Amino acid sequence: MKSINKYSRRKILKTTSAVAAAITLNSGFPAILKADNNIKIGVPTILSGRVAQLGISVNNALKMATDNFNSSGGLDGRNIELIVRDSRAKPDEAARVCRNFINSDKVDAIINAEASGASFAVQEVVRESGTLCLHTVSETSRLTADPSIRTWNAFRFSRQGIHDAVGSARYAATIIKEKGLKKWMSVNPDYAYGRDSDDTFFWALEKFSPGFEILGKGWPKIFQPDYTEVITQIAREKPDAIYTSLWGGDLVSFIDQAALYGIFKNTQLFAINLADYTTMSAVKNLPEGLHSATRYVAAWPDTDSNRNYDKSYTDLYGDHPTNWSWEASVGIDYLISAIRETGGTDNKKIAEYMKGKQKESFMGVGEGNTVTIRDNDQTIVDYSIGWGTTIPQDPFMNNIQAADWNTIAELEKEWLTDKGWL
Amino acid sequence: MGFLKQDNFKRDVFLGIVVWLFLLLFFFIVPSAGIHDIIQKVFILGLFAMSLNILIGYLGLIAFGHAAFFAAGAYTLGLFLQSNVVNILGSLSIPIAIISAIFVSTVLAAFIGAICIRLKDIYFSFLTLAFQMLIYSIILALVNITGGDQGLMGGFPKPPFLGIDLGKPFDFYAFTIFISIITIILLRQLIESPFGYGLRMIRDNPERPAALGFNNQRHKLIAFIIAGSIAGLAGSLQALLDVGAYPEWAFWAKSAEPLFMILLGGMHSFLGPIMGAFIFEMLNDFVTANTRYYGLVLGLVILSFVLGLRRGLLDWLLIKFYRK
Amino acid sequence: MEIFALFDCIISPACLISQTAGGLKIGMLLFLVASGLTLVFGVLGVINFAHGALYMLGAYFSWQVMAVTGHFGLAVICGAIGVGIFGLLFERLLINKVYNADLLVQILLCYSVILILDDLVMIIWGDEFLSGIGVPEVFQIPPLFIFDAIIPPFHIAIVVISMIVALLLWLIMTKTKFGKLVRATAVNPKMLEALGVNTNVIKAGVFMLGSFLAGLGGALAASLGSVVSGMGNSIIIESFIVTVIGGMGSIGGAFIASIIIGMARSFGAVAMPLFTDGIMFLIMVLVLIMKPEGLMGKKK
Repeated sequence: MKSINKYSRRKILKTTSAVAAAITLNSGFPAILKADNNIKIGVPTILSGRVAQLGISVNNALKMATDNFNSSGGLDGRNIELIVRDSRAKPDEAARVCRNFINSDKVDAIINAEASGASFAVQEVVRESGTLCLHTVSETSRLTADPSIRTWNAFRFSRQGIHDAVGSARYAATIIKEKGLKKWMSVNPDYAYGRDSDDTFFWALEKFSPGFEILGKGWPKIFQPDYTEVITQIAREKPDAIYTSLWGGDLVSFIDQAALYGIFKNTQLFAINLADYTTMSAVKNLPEGLHSATRYVAAWPDTDSNRNYDKSYTDLYGDHPTNWSWEASVGIDYLISAIRETGGTDNKKIAEYMKGKQKESFMGVGEGNTVTIRDNDQTIVDYSIGWGTTIPQDPFMNNIQAADWNTIAELEKEWLTDKGWL
Repeated sequence: MGFLKQDNFKRDVFLGIVVWLFLLLFFFIVPSAGIHDIIQKVFILGLFAMSLNILIGYLGLIAFGHAAFFAAGAYTLGLFLQSNVVNILGSLSIPIAIISAIFVSTVLAAFIGAICIRLKDIYFSFLTLAFQMLIYSIILALVNITGGDQGLMGGFPKPPFLGIDLGKPFDFYAFTIFISIITIILLRQLIESPFGYGLRMIRDNPERPAALGFNNQRHKLIAFIIAGSIAGLAGSLQALLDVGAYPEWAFWAKSAEPLFMILLGGMHSFLGPIMGAFIFEMLNDFVTANTRYYGLVLGLVILSFVLGLRRGLLDWLLIKFYRK
Repeated sequence: MEIFALFDCIISPACLISQTAGGLKIGMLLFLVASGLTLVFGVLGVINFAHGALYMLGAYFSWQVMAVTGHFGLAVICGAIGVGIFGLLFERLLINKVYNADLLVQILLCYSVILILDDLVMIIWGDEFLSGIGVPEVFQIPPLFIFDAIIPPFHIAIVVISMIVALLLWLIMTKTKFGKLVRATAVNPKMLEALGVNTNVIKAGVFMLGSFLAGLGGALAASLGSVVSGMGNSIIIESFIVTVIGGMGSIGGAFIASIIIGMARSFGAVAMPLFTDGIMFLIMVLVLIMKPEGLMGKKK
């Protein structure tokens, strides 16, 4: 009976009718009725509201990997069972969901796909319980950079603000040299991520290309529908360049509204979060020549393994992967090989395995296309960071330049020292 | 004017102890931490909803900014335990942190209440909403103290006191329920006292108590302050549970939660709101585990209560089976 | 707090003009939505918490019409009318059941409708935000320069449209028979019924008009940005602020208050970029304390 049930579940998800997806996401209730032999992974995430895409694309990525694992026989017949639950972006719900995973579902690991605020809540839960935890979404550096927040059993597989900032500033410096961009402005969402992004970007830019001038900073609220007050300031100050860490629908609205003012004719936009498929395809008449980091695009890294990843994901789900997808994919890859190598789910053994582990990956740019979980702060490094310019049609990106991880590591150290976190 | 009514006090205390002991036993009979978690939250949110029901059910004042006090309690406790004072106070830290949390939310409620109770009806509701959102904006703006939108990060120590270690699930469970039951018993005394009947009179016919020499405004203010302080207590317990405090707790949507609970459970029976908290939490647990369209389901449930039952479940049950 | 930045801005014509024009545009878009809210409250005595959800529906409806026809004007008008019709159903099926109910019941009814609609649009139109309907081709021209201040022609169009709506609303309310009946319904519905007027029709009409305004605001907002579930939740709070400051039920008051809030946002972004929302709530608190009936509301 059980296998029939599972088969039909998978089939329904492939039809990707939203209603059907809603029902099939039920993978963990009631917990008591499930066979206990499975390896259980709890995934607290956001599946509802305006960032539902986050949870959906993480779920897709994880499912792709675990289905593979299970269909190839699992670990001595033990399958991985994903239990995905919606916290509705509330930190206290995220904490409660995690406590339930640990205490009732007895999960073997947690893959945390929550945004920043809730990620700190999850961190506190796993610090108390000692459950293995893989952070795959939050980009706030502090989650792993600040030693007082770290814990031995939590690992970061998501990109980190400071890495991105150094990569961005380095790229911006080359464009400054080319085009002589002196006067800067910034537009960042008014919450921790936006403030961090602004801080670290200009801090790093100062290192590569000192002598620029900041004319002003705009701080729109997250999910703000109307950016007029910020855009009028930009139109007036006429900066040579703008840095923005707005993302998703907010970035789309901002670019659409700013285009009305003809801002992108004389001003270079550095939008770190533009190059995600959903975002780029949503911008009306995507202007040519905006600068963006490669969040996730099939064109970068320019390797077969990355194109294959994009293809298998797209074939399964009808959509391209998002930035969140690759983070979740790399995380689950690590976890699966840790389970295979250590022959089980002992959290101490898996943690030991992961620390300092170098592993081949489609997002890897380290030696032999690898990423590494750094030993001291248990954080992913050597993942692909590229910057390039936008073009209106597929593949959407041009002239992509890779960030240099030696430079990133050097400046990261300096930044940590400044913060007193080293 | 006596604030405490002695008649039922002994009976309430007896019942309270029985319920407490039963729930402690329950902890071992049903060793499911998920269910323990729900019970704790029912008591915490139940306190929050019951405190709001002092205003809504007994005074007829629709306060729409009650989460401000919940958040004040949570942040006070969190900031207190994150500070260096803990090293000095040692094992006294947690009791003093809880007392400070209640104190701060009481003071805040006195300030906001004194201004708000001058207004009536929808104007009162809007002013409480505006104050709450102002506090929300302040929490977000004071990044250096509150952590802004990320909330208080990095946890805090929970030093054991009187042999109670709140880091242990059983201790936390027993402690939370104990504190909640004491508060509920005291609240019941208040509601059944002349003061409590004064509140009902003000709700039903504000001219009469005034003619009898009652100071209506003073009554309202005291009720507002008590409601705020209990919400602060609930907030501090929630902060202890999650080892942090978050700005979402000061957002208007958090104020809507106890309104749902009051609607679901019933505003005219003393224990209605806690019943509502129970329904709300069960719904929350069941719905989020089964669908991601939580809003759709919750919305339909609320709609059916508003248009179908037209009152909370406990109110409905009492009318149907008890007071025929 | 950059108070000097504000001072610098006020003495520079370019800054003063562009921030003022920007504030006017924010304010007028807000007025479209808030006027519907205050109208419904003034006549029906119901605080329609779900007004923001109607605004969101306006955006989705116009997006759908745009996707089918590709015609901007048609999309906006159909979006607004579609929400008007939806509002009529909403009033007949749900709202009229709670006219005499407790405030709490009204709030919860509306809140449940928000929760339901926010999820329904995700089920119908998908989880991801949609790109808006864009600006009509006529307005895809270079912006105007006035004293170095840049003003997009489309913003002028939005302000003009909103002004025309405000004017029409004023004419309807003061010069037509419908308007007189509406005002009479607000004051004494029983008397009207005794005179043989069917007040149910008038109430439904008012609710439909209010919904139409929310839908129009949402459709125009869809031309400026993305369309997403939950997009009504910030505009509803701002509309409340406008309603309270202007005086609940006063359309003239809503007009003035919308402009005040627009300016507070626009200049607040220069002076205290991290506290612009706080400024709005502060204004709301002060008005409620000093003049609870609002700037133009009638004293009770």
